[in-house]
Amino acid sequence: MSLSLSARFPRSLRALVNPTSRAALLKPARTAPCATLFTSSSPLHPPTGKLYEGHIPISPLQRTILAVGSAFTALANPLRGDMVAALGETTGEMFLSRIRDQMLQDPEGRRILRERPKITSETMQLDKLRQLPDGTFGREYVRFLDDQQVSPDTREPVHFVDSEELAYVMQRYRETHDFYHTLTGLPVTVDGEIALKWFEMVQTGLPMTMLSSFFGPLRLTSEERARLFDVYVPWALENGSNSKLLMNVRWEEWMDRPVEDVQRELGVQSCPQA
Amino acid sequence: MATGMLSRAARARISRCMNPALATPLAHPFRHHRIAHIRSQSTSASAAPLEQYDVVIVGGGIAGSALACALASAKASGAQRIALIEAFDLSNHINWSPRPDQYSNRVSSLTPKSVAFLKRIGVWSELDHSRIAACEGMQVWDGVSGARITFDAADVNGTQSSFLHQVFSGKLPTTTPLNNSSNINSNDDGTTLNGQESPPLAWMTENLHVQRGLQKQIMAHQARGVQLDIFEKTKVQSITANQADSTIAPEVAAESMDISDWPILQLENGKRLQTRLLVGADGVNSPVRSFANIESLGWDYSQFGLVATLQIDPTTSTAPGQGRGIAWQRFLPTGPVAMLPLNNGYASLVWSTTPKIAQDLKKLPARDFCALVNAAFSASPAELEYLYKNIGPNGEPLVDFQQEIEWRASVQDAEPSKTMLRGGANTDAKPPKVVDVQENTRAPFPLRMRNSSSYVEDRVVLVGDAAHTVHPLAGQGLNQGLADVECLARVIEQSLLSGSDIGNIHSLTPYSSERFLPNLAMLGTVDKLSKLYNTDFGPVVWARSLGLTAVDNMGPIKTEIMRFAMGLEEPSSSK
Repeated sequence: MSLSLSARFPRSLRALVNPTSRAALLKPARTAPCATLFTSSSPLHPPTGKLYEGHIPISPLQRTILAVGSAFTALANPLRGDMVAALGETTGEMFLSRIRDQMLQDPEGRRILRERPKITSETMQLDKLRQLPDGTFGREYVRFLDDQQVSPDTREPVHFVDSEELAYVMQRYRETHDFYHTLTGLPVTVDGEIALKWFEMVQTGLPMTMLSSFFGPLRLTSEERARLFDVYVPWALENGSNSKLLMNVRWEEWMDRPVEDVQRELGVQSCPQA
Repeated sequence: MATGMLSRAARARISRCMNPALATPLAHPFRHHRIAHIRSQSTSASAAPLEQYDVVIVGGGIAGSALACALASAKASGAQRIALIEAFDLSNHINWSPRPDQYSNRVSSLTPKSVAFLKRIGVWSELDHSRIAACEGMQVWDGVSGARITFDAADVNGTQSSFLHQVFSGKLPTTTPLNNSSNINSNDDGTTLNGQESPPLAWMTENLHVQRGLQKQIMAHQARGVQLDIFEKTKVQSITANQADSTIAPEVAAESMDISDWPILQLENGKRLQTRLLVGADGVNSPVRSFANIESLGWDYSQFGLVATLQIDPTTSTAPGQGRGIAWQRFLPTGPVAMLPLNNGYASLVWSTTPKIAQDLKKLPARDFCALVNAAFSASPAELEYLYKNIGPNGEPLVDFQQEIEWRASVQDAEPSKTMLRGGANTDAKPPKVVDVQENTRAPFPLRMRNSSSYVEDRVVLVGDAAHTVHPLAGQGLNQGLADVECLARVIEQSLLSGSDIGNIHSLTPYSSERFLPNLAMLGTVDKLSKLYNTDFGPVVWARSLGLTAVDNMGPIKTEIMRFAMGLEEPSSSK
């Protein structure tokens, strides 16, 4: 998935991997116009029916235009979260199918694919989570959401992935991103997100999760860059290779456990200096 | 003899030394020759008198027996003294009488060229045609990308060499093929079975079936007085190069003809044979090859082949005519899996995979095995990997295979393919579902690639698996062996007619020069294909899928490939 752009524009990055961020919240209405722009049937390959709720079938030509167009729009205006999301969707199919295949190797991953749980404020019962004692995974997760002033409901739905199952994988990937922050303690900053990308790359073995990391550091101050490579990246390399694949984690079932327990079970340590 | 009746030892031998049904069927259970000692000095003690032969063939497998038939059926070579040595009981072949609903697990595809040869040596008419399935089409696809190529017998138009071949071989139109091997179409009117419109791509039949035909024909030759002696149930104990040792055969030395360099074979039953020409048809670990000090080059694939006889439900295939006569092959990252058509709702499986998975597949309960075979032809490689991992140490499934496979199939069915999404129809034909596997037909064997550094030496010649071994994915092993035999018999006949010594290396060179390159080309092609498909690395998958799709859309090139695989044309075929 092309995250290079998002890395250069931190807010858009958040919109892509963490669409609950403010960037996405700011422009929810933009989704529709951009989507309808590309739905007219192509003379080359008229698309047929929808595969899932929110699916917008597009032809290869449209896909190319959308990918290029969204890349330029996102460059020009990093606040266009919908464009960043579109870019990820139009280019990320290979990434998604590899993630899906990794999930298929794991009983938990298969259970997630089979049951397709959704993460919304309703399914997560945020109010109940707020009642949990401090230090539990659920409490810290809600604290994170409140600090960022986001909610799980405001994520950009998936539009352009031509597969029901992969669309779900994309959705799940976006929905679970906030848990990563709770788990690792990494902040929603450019270097924090880059550290998470390194972590994901080591975990999944998929270099495309890393694209952003090549460009991201350009925007960092030398101090931030030093911290990234001296602290975050070594942490990501070690923890990424030791931990369970996070896409195979049924986070919903871990809410009342202390964060340390979850970390131990998943083989992840808190990121130092985060 | 049905495979079910094979002894334990014989079955173990199959799994140990047999090559895949498709490709290298020349190795069969009855050719595991062991030479106790291979000595280059002469044996001093010689109880039995020395019997002299013109040709001694070691190995009564398909290649060896076919050579015996071919020599016996020709005019000049039929007048020679021929011996065939086989370690096992050949009467098992003669008495092989399987039930119509039972098929041996070792099935080979015979190309039109091989069939023409079998006809010429009178074996084809000995076969029971209800046990031969015509292969009218092939569906070959990439398990990772789904890219597919289809071959249809109707695409190969008849009798003349295709334009491309003419261009590449430098003989543009007008010229008619000179050598026998490319002459098959013109002299063979009967490649059509049951009066079908276009001749099939290949014929599928059991190796044992061909063996029986060969033995019947050998007996017929013996009955009409050909000097063809069979030494069965006896092994070759040693082969000796009789290097001018006159003490061994003083009576011979007196003769004018110098036979001092003829090899001497000591058999386990006490007999001693001396021969003008020694033919090694003794399989991949050929003792004759060792005797001649010919090096065998190649490698073992880290793959095993698993054969089995399957019962299928033809109504579940979406191919035209319920997939009758279609061979299916899907390339998985672990190796290709192929289903070859047999008659009466049966099919033969050749599944190349890792040694561990092959052993696991053998142990799985029949019901789960069938589910897994079906999945191998449809499920994603990732899904298959999960299932392989869930075969327990005793072959018991650790998850509910049927349930898991059904779930993934339902997800896959819900995903319209890219072409359907774009408004096209999904035309990819599906193979029939496997409903059962015949008991005791699952047998794994290692896959190898070998080529001898040379096929001939003075007084020694190698044919079939003794000369070369190939991966089964293209179904060429047996056909290569038969092509060797056809060529060698022709070369021997020509030497006899011109009065040369058939054992002399110069007489044998035409055989070597005609067969070495085509065999090497086939080995190389098949080996590259196997390596090309033995990965799921993205760029490689992309490139090979692009190539496959391109070839599938390029009629002339596709026809060329089919003709090559059918043995109708050979690369760089020399005289």
